[in-house]
Amino acid sequence: MNHALEVQALSKAYGKKQAVNGVSFQIAEGEVFGLMGMNGAGKTTILRMLATLLKPDSGDALIAGHSIKTHPEQVRANICYLPDEAGAYRTMTGRYYLGFIAGLYFKEYEQQQECVKLGEEICGLGDALDRKISTYSRGMTRKLVLARTVMPKPRLAILDEPTSGLDVLNSLDIRKTIRRCAQEFGTAFLLSSHHMQEVQNTADRCAIMKDGVFLAEGTPAQLLANYEAATMEEVFERAVNGV
Amino acid sequence: MMHLLRKELRELCNKQMILSLLGTMLLIILMGVVMTTTMSESLESSGELHIIDCDDTEFTRSVITALEADGYDVEVSPVVKSNYELLEENEWKEAVLIPLGFTEKVLEQKVAGEVSSLSMLTSTTSMDIMMSGSTSTDAFTAKVKELLMTKYLGEDMDFLAKPVTETPWTYANHAEAQVDSYTLVNSLSLFDRLMPLILFMLIVLTAQTIITAVAAEKNDKTLETLLASPVPRSHVIGAKMLAALIVAIIYALSYGAGFLVTMLMTVDAGGAGIDLGEAMTELATINQAVMTLELQIPAWGWALVIVQLILTIGIALMAAIILGALVQDAKSSQNASLPILVCAMLPYILSMVSDIRQMEGITKILMYAIPFTHTFIATSCLRFHDYGLLCGGLVYQAVFFALMTVAALKLYQSDILFIGLPKKVKK
Repeated sequence: MNHALEVQALSKAYGKKQAVNGVSFQIAEGEVFGLMGMNGAGKTTILRMLATLLKPDSGDALIAGHSIKTHPEQVRANICYLPDEAGAYRTMTGRYYLGFIAGLYFKEYEQQQECVKLGEEICGLGDALDRKISTYSRGMTRKLVLARTVMPKPRLAILDEPTSGLDVLNSLDIRKTIRRCAQEFGTAFLLSSHHMQEVQNTADRCAIMKDGVFLAEGTPAQLLANYEAATMEEVFERAVNGV
Repeated sequence: MMHLLRKELRELCNKQMILSLLGTMLLIILMGVVMTTTMSESLESSGELHIIDCDDTEFTRSVITALEADGYDVEVSPVVKSNYELLEENEWKEAVLIPLGFTEKVLEQKVAGEVSSLSMLTSTTSMDIMMSGSTSTDAFTAKVKELLMTKYLGEDMDFLAKPVTETPWTYANHAEAQVDSYTLVNSLSLFDRLMPLILFMLIVLTAQTIITAVAAEKNDKTLETLLASPVPRSHVIGAKMLAALIVAIIYALSYGAGFLVTMLMTVDAGGAGIDLGEAMTELATINQAVMTLELQIPAWGWALVIVQLILTIGIALMAAIILGALVQDAKSSQNASLPILVCAMLPYILSMVSDIRQMEGITKILMYAIPFTHTFIATSCLRFHDYGLLCGGLVYQAVFFALMTVAALKLYQSDILFIGLPKKVKK
């Protein structure tokens, strides 16, 4: 199996606080991997290290075979990162914004146009794409930024809390888009979330984090079985409390 | 009510606000120190009279004695060498020269005697305009008139109305020109005051724009998106800087055009009723004096000034990019530009009121350490042939800009951008 991501004993500390402590895992191409954990568990730190925004203290990660420590430029050419509660340039129209992002990933005009076309289709905003982003609702903005994240068809898409603050229907749309892109384009997804149900329904595999380490890792079905739980909330509670 | 008041005060009185207050206070104190020093120097020199007595008669000596009796500190130089050397060696800003035959004219021929009013020009600041009066000439003329009125009491003689006529001479750059220094400084400083104002506005405006833009990008997380994309980070910084520079140039041109129109309108309004032929003659005289005194700025000088302007804006932008990146929220971005504002305001205000080049001690070192200062004094350096300082300032600015660029690039590749500066660990 080809791995889009291989994380090897990744660690990061902020002063005396060990945010991530020797975490290792892999994600295959087209696989969706969910990271669950409470606030301050180290999820965002892992995502930011993989997005080459933070430097790891030790360990490494290979994305499409490139090290985040030694070849961050090549890594950035193979990833797309969606930060938690990320906005977009409010003075741009949705269509212009997609074009701007496409220009960051492709030099050829035809490739950019193809990318934008895919983005327009994925976000499903229709005529609203010609309106300024400042007029968009939170759900519309989220669909737009998710579309810009997946439209370049990266090897790995890193999504930090992709559905946070969204209503049920908008969350459902986002999850469907993630599943579809994973299947159609072979994009691997690494997403963090507080919503256990969301991870259960979207991710192929997932991990539960606390204090910078993985407490449990596996498919949702495996975790439910291992913890003899009926829901992922129960799995999470038992893993975190060490039951 | 008190509960709410406490909350409002806590919101308003934050660390940034205190820092901002301290910075402003420091600025006011520093300006006060420099202004007081300059004023006390000018007050000290206001009681000094400088007289070059080539006539050296009993009458001229009696005038000098009478002036001393009035409390003036009169310095007399009988040595007739080059007037320029005399002024320079004695560090006199102005002096009156009594020519040979002066006494004969006023006492025997009973006609007005002619004296030369000498002024040494070293800068074109407001203080120079204030100090460019002919103190020694005025005091000497008044005393001569007083003594002659006493001597010829009751006699009706026309020349007593104006017993002394003066010819103004201005000295600069080892040259002399027969021109009134006040008019000369006024005409030169019109431009020399306009450029610092535009420069100050540009620094503050572009810095604030960049800080707000970077802070907003951080807040919206669009900066994270950009930095995680396959675009070199130098391009991200470079694009921000270039865009701000282009906007700054547009602002500079707009401000320049606006001020030019205002100046032309002022000249137009003030020119009503003035004899155009006379005004043109005066203008031609001033221009001739500027050329003679070598106060004009050559084409290569303007090129250097433009390079310094660009470097100054570049330094301000780099500093703004760094400060904007360190801002943790939109609220604190309002105060983040304070260091740039202080560093621009200090040389701007001080270069208007006094000559920074002639400051001494720690104040001078402090002012020269601010890279913006060298652009504010660039035209002064060019007019008064201080090329060493001009080139040194240019090199310093270039090195400073390079260091700021490296610092900005390092910052945008470091964790500090997202997790802030490391805090000291409490023991």
